[in-house]
Amino acid sequence: MEERERKSRADRGRSNRSLLRRTIGLMLVMGVLVFIPLVVQLVRLQILQYSEWKERAANQQTKSVAITANRGTIYDREGRAMALSATVYQLILSPRDVVALVNEDDKRFKDSEGNFNQAAYDAAVRERQTTIVNWLSANLGMDAESLRTRIEKTNSAYERLATEVEEEQAEQIRQFIKDQELANSLYLVDSSKRYYPFASIGSHILGYMSYNENSGDQKEGAMGIEALYEDALSGELGRQVYSKTGSGREMMSGYEMYFDAENGCDLTLTIDERIQSMLEQTLAEGIQTYDVQAGAFGIAIDPQTGAVLGMASAPDFDPNNYSAVIDEELRDQLSRIAEQYGEDSEEYSAAYKAAFDAQMRNKALSDAYEPGSTFKPLTVAMALEEGVISMDDHFYCGGSLKIDGYPKPIHCHQRAGHGEQSLTVAVANSCNVALMQIAFKIGAEKFYDYLENYGLKEKTGVDLVGEGGSFVLDRDTFTGPYGQSSLAVYSFGQTLKVTPIRMITAFASLINGGHLLEPYVVQSIRDDSGETVYYHETSEVRQTISESTSEKIRSILEYVVNEGSGHNAYQAGYRIAGKTGTSEKIDLRTPEDPDNDDVICSFMGYAPAEDPKVLVLLAYDTPKRSAPHSNLTANGTYISGGNITAPMAGKLIANILDYMGVEKQYTADELSAADVTMRRVTGLELTVAMGRLQGQGLGFRTVGTGQKVVRQVPEAGVSVPGGSTVVLYLGDETPPEQVEVPSVAGLTPTEAKTKLEELGLLMRASGAADYTGSSIRAISQSIEGGTSVAPGTVINVQFADNVVDYNVENNNDSSDVPVPPETG
Amino acid sequence: MAVRKRSRRDLTIEQQLARGPVDLVFLALVLLLTAVGLIMLLSASFAIAMYNSYPGVDTGGNPYYYFIRQGGFALGGIALMYVISRIDYQRIRLLSVPALALSILLLLLIFTPLGWESNGARRWLRLGIRFQPSEFAKAAVIMFFAARLSKRNDELRAPPKKWNKRTFTGRAGAFLDRIGFLELVPYGAILLVILFLLYKEPHMSAMILVLVGAASVLLVSGVSLGWFAAAGTLVGAALWFIITQTKYMTARINVWLDPTVDLKGDGFQPWQSRIAIGSGGLLGKGLGNSIQKYQFLPEMQNDCIFAIACEELGLIGACVIIALFMLLILRGYWLAIHSRDRFGTLLIVGFITLLAAQTFFNIGVVTGVIPTTGISLPFFSYGGTALVIQLAEMGVVLSVSRQITAPKVE
Repeated sequence: MEERERKSRADRGRSNRSLLRRTIGLMLVMGVLVFIPLVVQLVRLQILQYSEWKERAANQQTKSVAITANRGTIYDREGRAMALSATVYQLILSPRDVVALVNEDDKRFKDSEGNFNQAAYDAAVRERQTTIVNWLSANLGMDAESLRTRIEKTNSAYERLATEVEEEQAEQIRQFIKDQELANSLYLVDSSKRYYPFASIGSHILGYMSYNENSGDQKEGAMGIEALYEDALSGELGRQVYSKTGSGREMMSGYEMYFDAENGCDLTLTIDERIQSMLEQTLAEGIQTYDVQAGAFGIAIDPQTGAVLGMASAPDFDPNNYSAVIDEELRDQLSRIAEQYGEDSEEYSAAYKAAFDAQMRNKALSDAYEPGSTFKPLTVAMALEEGVISMDDHFYCGGSLKIDGYPKPIHCHQRAGHGEQSLTVAVANSCNVALMQIAFKIGAEKFYDYLENYGLKEKTGVDLVGEGGSFVLDRDTFTGPYGQSSLAVYSFGQTLKVTPIRMITAFASLINGGHLLEPYVVQSIRDDSGETVYYHETSEVRQTISESTSEKIRSILEYVVNEGSGHNAYQAGYRIAGKTGTSEKIDLRTPEDPDNDDVICSFMGYAPAEDPKVLVLLAYDTPKRSAPHSNLTANGTYISGGNITAPMAGKLIANILDYMGVEKQYTADELSAADVTMRRVTGLELTVAMGRLQGQGLGFRTVGTGQKVVRQVPEAGVSVPGGSTVVLYLGDETPPEQVEVPSVAGLTPTEAKTKLEELGLLMRASGAADYTGSSIRAISQSIEGGTSVAPGTVINVQFADNVVDYNVENNNDSSDVPVPPETG
Repeated sequence: MAVRKRSRRDLTIEQQLARGPVDLVFLALVLLLTAVGLIMLLSASFAIAMYNSYPGVDTGGNPYYYFIRQGGFALGGIALMYVISRIDYQRIRLLSVPALALSILLLLLIFTPLGWESNGARRWLRLGIRFQPSEFAKAAVIMFFAARLSKRNDELRAPPKKWNKRTFTGRAGAFLDRIGFLELVPYGAILLVILFLLYKEPHMSAMILVLVGAASVLLVSGVSLGWFAAAGTLVGAALWFIITQTKYMTARINVWLDPTVDLKGDGFQPWQSRIAIGSGGLLGKGLGNSIQKYQFLPEMQNDCIFAIACEELGLIGACVIIALFMLLILRGYWLAIHSRDRFGTLLIVGFITLLAAQTFFNIGVVTGVIPTTGISLPFFSYGGTALVIQLAEMGVVLSVSRQITAPKVE
């Protein structure tokens, strides 16, 4: 009994100890241990990962609205806006919020027991969607079907329905949003649209705007200035940030921040819209006249600064709608393919892509070509600079020259040979044999030094995207075992290929005193407040040749136009100088096409000859031959730079100088040129008429537009002083019956001639031995001022040099001499 | 003096003990947590009440709607706690039987038209007010188990039952008796009934809490640890099976491990709650300055209230709240250890373990330590009956604390 009592007590003791132990155990577990992971996790979230979570919170708790910055305007050198932006809107739909417009708690969706009626709810949502779809398709002409699919993506909060909604439509949309209380589910976002008022003019330089992977919902500049100066033009987007509630409403007590948008900078280009359009017009005209197959390019630069006045490449595009093919030829081709294969065929898309690539390509910047004879002045300049030849040297051309290490003799273009010629005449004749002889005197090493010196192996640094590379042999190959033949063909610009921009930059250095300049397109950048933040100063890369060599080259080149192969570029009064080039596209002579005789007809010219204001490179790639291997185009023009490109370039340069306001300078020869008999050009194609008149040494101007000459002043058979400018009437224009003769007394010969010719009258000068001095003044005229005569009448004007009296006493600089009294 | 006030001397020892002072530390902690909880509820529910955006509750746009209602329940709850703390807890021994029966009855009533369904679960009864009978069931199970198990030693001491060794049932019975299985049968039966009813609602979190409460009482009462190991293994295996073999649970676990897999669905709430906590940082955004409460975080006034507390009060504030809970729990167990009898101990252990488990599960879910279970945070989460019952349970603990004999003063 007692034992049992003891056992019981022991039991109880054990039981109490177990109770205590277990309670304490539980206390430790439930009161301490379980809380450890909680605190650890809190430390992790709130301290270690604080910044991540904070960012996530900020992302969802704030709503930021982009405030568009106005993109800068691109002006030409005269301040004409070539690219400008205007505000438009993007239309955004949030299908998720459209659903949220219908309140789930609405009594309509509850049955009598308060249960949710899904079907009724869905129907209400659908009705809402339909209203929006119908309105948008009816008022904005959007495709109802695709709208329907997009509005049903109810997980999406961002569907961009339209990108360039104009203000007028935007107003309608705003009203609709207001009427339907659609805020948040349908809204407009500011955006901007780029306009190019001159359409395709300068398109390759300006570039265009498009979306890309990184551009988000704003277009970015693609190509040209728009791309290269994207950062400067675009400015900084502004943002409005405010805190919002989970349902997207603006929080009433939340914070709000406003970051101003920074408008983009305005650019002023060196490009002149007028010169650019003349350039493009010239390209288009030539392509049409000579049925040019592979496009054309042209560059006009200021040879003294490197400023690019114009740069054109055909075919081109309209940056307002860059994906449309605008070249007629290409469009015809495409529609033919579309007819044959259908518009969704692979053939069509391949053809479209080819056409698109062709019109996007800036040949003047990207495509290397064989400069041909336009390269010759570079070779001559090397030789003169190195002193291996002099201006007095003579060269004999027997029609071909045998080169060491080359199987066949290399022919001159004139198989019979040019015979004995002075240096100037050799260049004027564009004699390959003479050039080879000159190159051999220079030697391969030196020649190669000059290739580098002229910058033909390096980028010019022009501020445009996509400058191409050249194909020039490396030095070891050029000077190696085949050196003689390489040197021979390089001397007249064959087998090497350089980009037009490099060629013109190198050429500019020949005529501007030897300064190799960095060509440039952007003259200055002005920020939003009007402050100039960048101004391009002329930057010289290096000196290529000396000033005296440059002067010699200038005189040779003027001779080329006045007397030589470039005479078709001649325009009386403009002092044009330059060099023609007809280059074979040797790299097209593949085994499959061994007889390929495609040529590039080019002209590199400048004016005025003694003080170049503009240097133009113009080239037509592959004028169509009238028959295979014929030397003529369909309209009978001999295919060469001299016959095809030079006249176009001459007219272009004359137009540019007129536009630039460079005063004409008639030479004594021009003023005292023998009379010629006016030929009949009425009824001819303008280009043919042009050729005939130039052949006679007559200048001309046109009145009206059109391709055919309908009237001419003076009439055929009239004897006119050589070098006169005659008037050709195109289209519906007719010459006036009578014109009043102006008084030219006291005017210089050039002024008098210009004044008379503006009215359609002709001037025959007499009296002075030399008409170039600025002290020469008109003293009398054969028909007195105020008399009415028929246009085309020749007026004899007597000139006299009156300056003698003054110079004796004052020894004045002649340019400041006042007009002498008539009686003097 | 017709009726002399009964003096101390007239009372039995028990009666005298029942008039002792309540444990002030515990009382202070309870009141403090209730007050902090109310303040946090005001802050957390402000926006949702103002926008009237919580489905099923019409606040009429009154931003104080939740606070005022909860405040009323808190006052009522504190009054009830006071009343219960004045009652001699020994009476609970008797009360526990009808309480258990009543709670089972209420659970059954759910399946009558009196029940109310929301979100596909039938957990509420509408008898004038809307409440969850499972709240009663949790308390009733603890009370009943504590009452029975406090007499366990006496039962064990009683002469062992004679089994007829010649029959199979007799031999099996003797075996089960010897390993202590038979002793557990009534508890198991009660638990099974209640768990089954909760399962039918379904109400997973209540099942967990009922089990935890009951298990703690069984554990402390001295039931062999082997049974816990066996039950633990069984539950573990079942859980493993459910998690790996049912799509629903697998998805839930995946969302727990990485809420980003389903940010628009099940991952939304855990993700938003982590954003709230994480963006609070060390010091928080300041009381009332939560942004997540502006309709980002669902259930912010209920299960997610702690996340708002973390966002506004930062790590420091959150740790202070956790510390208050820990102190309350530790003090509770301290009272259990010192209580006058086994019944008191078991009662407190049950209620305090229940409180601790609820706290752990809630904060664990909100911070992402454990997968989502819908368990509210005691004293903080919005819910009138829950708060009142919580405070009533604390009243029971206080009642037990009155009968602790003061340590002798040397």
